[in-house]
Amino acid sequence: MAQPLVKKDDDRDDEADYSPFLGIEKGAVLQEARVFNDPQLDARRCSQVITKLLYLLNQGETFTKIEATEVFFAVTKLFQSRDTGLRRMVYLMIKELSPSADEVIIVTSSLMKDMNSKTDMYRANAIRVLCRITDGTLLTQIERYLKQAIVDKNPVVASAALVSGIHLLQTNPEIVRRWSNEVQEAVQSRAALVQFHALALLHQIRQNDRLAVSKLVTSLTRGNVRSPLAQCLLIRYTSQVIRESGTNTQTGDRPFYDFLEGCLRHKAEMVIFEAARAITELSGVTSRELTPAITVLQLFLSSSKPVLRFAAVRTLNKVAMTHPMAVTNCNIDMESLISDQNRSIATLAITTLLKTGNESSVDRLMKQITNFMSDIADEFKIVVVEAIRSLCLKFPLKYRALMNFLSNILREEGGFEYKKAIVDSIVILIRDIPDAKESGLLHLCEFIEDCEFTYLSTQILHFLGIEGPKTSDPSKYIRYIYNRVILENATVRASAVSTLAKFGAMVDSLKPRIFVLLRRCLFDSDDEVRDRATLYLNTIGGDGSVVETDKDVKDFLFGSLDIPLVNLETSLKNYEPSEEPFDIDSVPREVKSQPLAEKKAPGKKPTGLGAPPSGPTSTVDAYEKLLSSIPEYASFGKPFKSSAPVELTEAETEYAVNVVKHIFDRHVVFQYNCTNTIPEQLLENVTVIVDASDAEEFSEVSTKPLRSLPYDSPGQTFVAFEKPDGVPAVGKFTNMLKFIVKEVDPTTGETEEDGVEDEYQLEDLEVVAADYVLKVGVSNFRNAWESMGPEFERVDEYGLGPRESLAEAVSAVISLLGLQPCEGTEVVPSNSRSHTCLLSGVFIGNAKVLVRLSFGIDGPKEVAMKLAVRSEDESVSDAIHEIVASG
Amino acid sequence: MGLWDSIFDWLRSLFYKQEMELSLIGLQNAGKTSLLNAIATGGYSEDMVPTVGFNMRKVTKGNVIIKVWDLGGQQRFRTMWERYCRGVSAILFVVDAADRDSVPISRSELHSLLTKPSLTGIPLLVVGNKIDRSEALSEQSLVGQLDLKSITGREVGCYMISCKDSVNIDLVIDWLIKHSKTPN
Repeated sequence: MAQPLVKKDDDRDDEADYSPFLGIEKGAVLQEARVFNDPQLDARRCSQVITKLLYLLNQGETFTKIEATEVFFAVTKLFQSRDTGLRRMVYLMIKELSPSADEVIIVTSSLMKDMNSKTDMYRANAIRVLCRITDGTLLTQIERYLKQAIVDKNPVVASAALVSGIHLLQTNPEIVRRWSNEVQEAVQSRAALVQFHALALLHQIRQNDRLAVSKLVTSLTRGNVRSPLAQCLLIRYTSQVIRESGTNTQTGDRPFYDFLEGCLRHKAEMVIFEAARAITELSGVTSRELTPAITVLQLFLSSSKPVLRFAAVRTLNKVAMTHPMAVTNCNIDMESLISDQNRSIATLAITTLLKTGNESSVDRLMKQITNFMSDIADEFKIVVVEAIRSLCLKFPLKYRALMNFLSNILREEGGFEYKKAIVDSIVILIRDIPDAKESGLLHLCEFIEDCEFTYLSTQILHFLGIEGPKTSDPSKYIRYIYNRVILENATVRASAVSTLAKFGAMVDSLKPRIFVLLRRCLFDSDDEVRDRATLYLNTIGGDGSVVETDKDVKDFLFGSLDIPLVNLETSLKNYEPSEEPFDIDSVPREVKSQPLAEKKAPGKKPTGLGAPPSGPTSTVDAYEKLLSSIPEYASFGKPFKSSAPVELTEAETEYAVNVVKHIFDRHVVFQYNCTNTIPEQLLENVTVIVDASDAEEFSEVSTKPLRSLPYDSPGQTFVAFEKPDGVPAVGKFTNMLKFIVKEVDPTTGETEEDGVEDEYQLEDLEVVAADYVLKVGVSNFRNAWESMGPEFERVDEYGLGPRESLAEAVSAVISLLGLQPCEGTEVVPSNSRSHTCLLSGVFIGNAKVLVRLSFGIDGPKEVAMKLAVRSEDESVSDAIHEIVASG
Repeated sequence: MGLWDSIFDWLRSLFYKQEMELSLIGLQNAGKTSLLNAIATGGYSEDMVPTVGFNMRKVTKGNVIIKVWDLGGQQRFRTMWERYCRGVSAILFVVDAADRDSVPISRSELHSLLTKPSLTGIPLLVVGNKIDRSEALSEQSLVGQLDLKSITGREVGCYMISCKDSVNIDLVIDWLIKHSKTPN
């Protein structure tokens, strides 16, 4: 009758999925639960039934309110049994059923009795259940017992009380805080688990009091914490204290570093690892501090335990991002991990090596990776591909080996995500390394010959159409493209037709041949393909004559569609067939509800095919189109720079306004993006009154009001200023939003006739020198610096006064100048006394600027700076100095 | 014949203990837990805490093992009484005879409980506690105020006791032992 409750481990091979409860039904088990009401209890049988009920609950089975109540009250009757095994199941069942508060209270008295029982198991478990079901008022009644339990000599009981304390702290913090003394006593317990739980609770009690946490850490790091788990916690709390206190700059020593370093010699591996990781994560860790941590991690790399190897290599992988040099010592050990059985370890080892490797080791590494690639899963391969991409960007000279590697793996089997990662990488390399272009394009051509992913084929064809015609021998790509027209599905055929047309438009010598091919496409079975072929034949001169392609045609073929697709879609839907053709200019250009979330999205990865010239550029494009669509501003020329939107209102105010500063050679245009957040209002004739009395060099030339601003539909109003040509004029502007308010009935949408004039004060806006500088990086600063020559070099020294730290001074100057830091020089190693920062950019008037900043800091935090500027124009060099001098 | 029977009963009682289950209910502060203590050990304590939920206790009297569900008397527990009265051998209802204001509430709680079909036929013993106090009701007036006469279809008993002075506790125990055989 009795089934074995737990399957034996050795059965596992034969019946891997065997469960003694497989196929049991809720209804039947609820019937069985009647044994709980028997006058003569069979404890063993009751335990089995509870196990089944628990199994059902954990399988996601739900009990109705009535069922749960019935079971719960039946289970409470089991308190009459003295069988410890059964009592344990009763505890579990009460916790698992978690009946409503007004019912569960019925077991309180019984649990309180158990809490003071002589049986330790009863005590510990009753505490856990009681704390789970208790409320504030009851807690005060049992508080006395809990305090006793915390210092109980039985570790199981003490741990139960401490863990309950951790849970109760969330709901009844003021009560749990009163237990500090007992908890502190428990921290000294000889039992490992008690010490661990007590430390966790004590820290939670004090976590909002920085000083108290610091004291706690100080006292415990001196004393001896026996439990390795508690020691790990202590290390975490210590790193937190270190983070918050900063370094002791007098001696350059870091408080508690010695403690962390000492933990590296601990008996327990988990403590050693925790300490090593804590050291590697110290902010601004120096290489002297890192060395001992790296040494123990290196030892872990050759451990026989996979978990240690994994932990070590993962930590080293992170270190390699910030301190690649520190990790190079481990390279030999990591190379042997490439063949590790555990693929996660192998992948981490590879990617770490790719980060730490130098130019000379690339070839050897690539050889090893090639062997390894065939036996890892796609998601690991993607990680490797991404690592190789960044390696290639780091060592552009090695592009040949890396490009070959990418093309080889492109030919192998793989899923879509993996192939896309490779193709993206190749595209990025083509874009960033000019030498790699031709070979890269050919690799892509070969790939689409045998590509099963329509998406990738079309994207590559599009890319070929843009890059291909600019190569030395465009004709060699035609065969690959036309093969697509013959062999592929309709979608790919259509994009191949577009690509052919682009070649035809750009390369006059190819035109006649392209025409022949396009004419063949006129007989395609798919209408999209035929339509495109017809369209292109007509636009680029279908009469067969080889003529210079129009600029308009080129715009049409190569320009990006600057209209939001959503708007185009709605306009097309609304268009009714008539004599009048659809006018694309009638499509609104405003992007509804600016995709702010997208901009804020972290981790700007270089995007490949998905969005060629990615995000930022396209907003610039959008601004440019928007501005050129306004006749008044058309004469200003091309904007030199458009700033990021600056918020002029607090979040969640009646009207949300931000401004974009468009800098032209002789003008500045402020684009105010306004949103009306009141459903009951319609704003009309919205303008911004700008007071430029604090900006003497600017004079207002025009204002473009916004005719109407309905609820939740953003609109723009513009104000233009004239300023001296090419001069980086700066100034402060005060803004006032002015408009006519009309009441709207939100239910009917009807607007009242009469409006009231109103004003709304906005925050001030500043035009600063950085607005006249474009961040443009150079890949090799030294080369750029040398080739610029010392002709217009201006050097001067500045005292920056007392500063918080060197890093703070450096970032302040960088943001003042608005230039692009090069070669990672914006990062200041902590504790360093001097730093050189390299910046580059383009100044208004398209003058390249290179800046070399040398900083030094002395004892009382006085920072001095030497500023050397080279540019193509003397006045620009002077202007940069002026920015610093006046800033 | 009768002699043989009684000898046989005595012999049987040596090997087989009888069991009974009863529930102890009544308003808060009526003295349920005190009565349970008095039955079990004969002790008495002034310092009692209200029962939150129930106490389960097994008491052995002679050859009878009595399982007692001593239930909390506060308002929030009264709806749950019925669950612990199902299938018991007897219901023990304790009334504070000295708290005259509470007697009407006791009456309504008792009568509404006894209407539950699951409790049909279960013998009821009403116990008026705290007769050591001068203001305590007499048995007659308690029976009258609780309207015990109107209860039909079950055996109803009533004793006046004092847990403090151990008055009539033995009567209660005797009554219980007499009802140890379940009515079924």
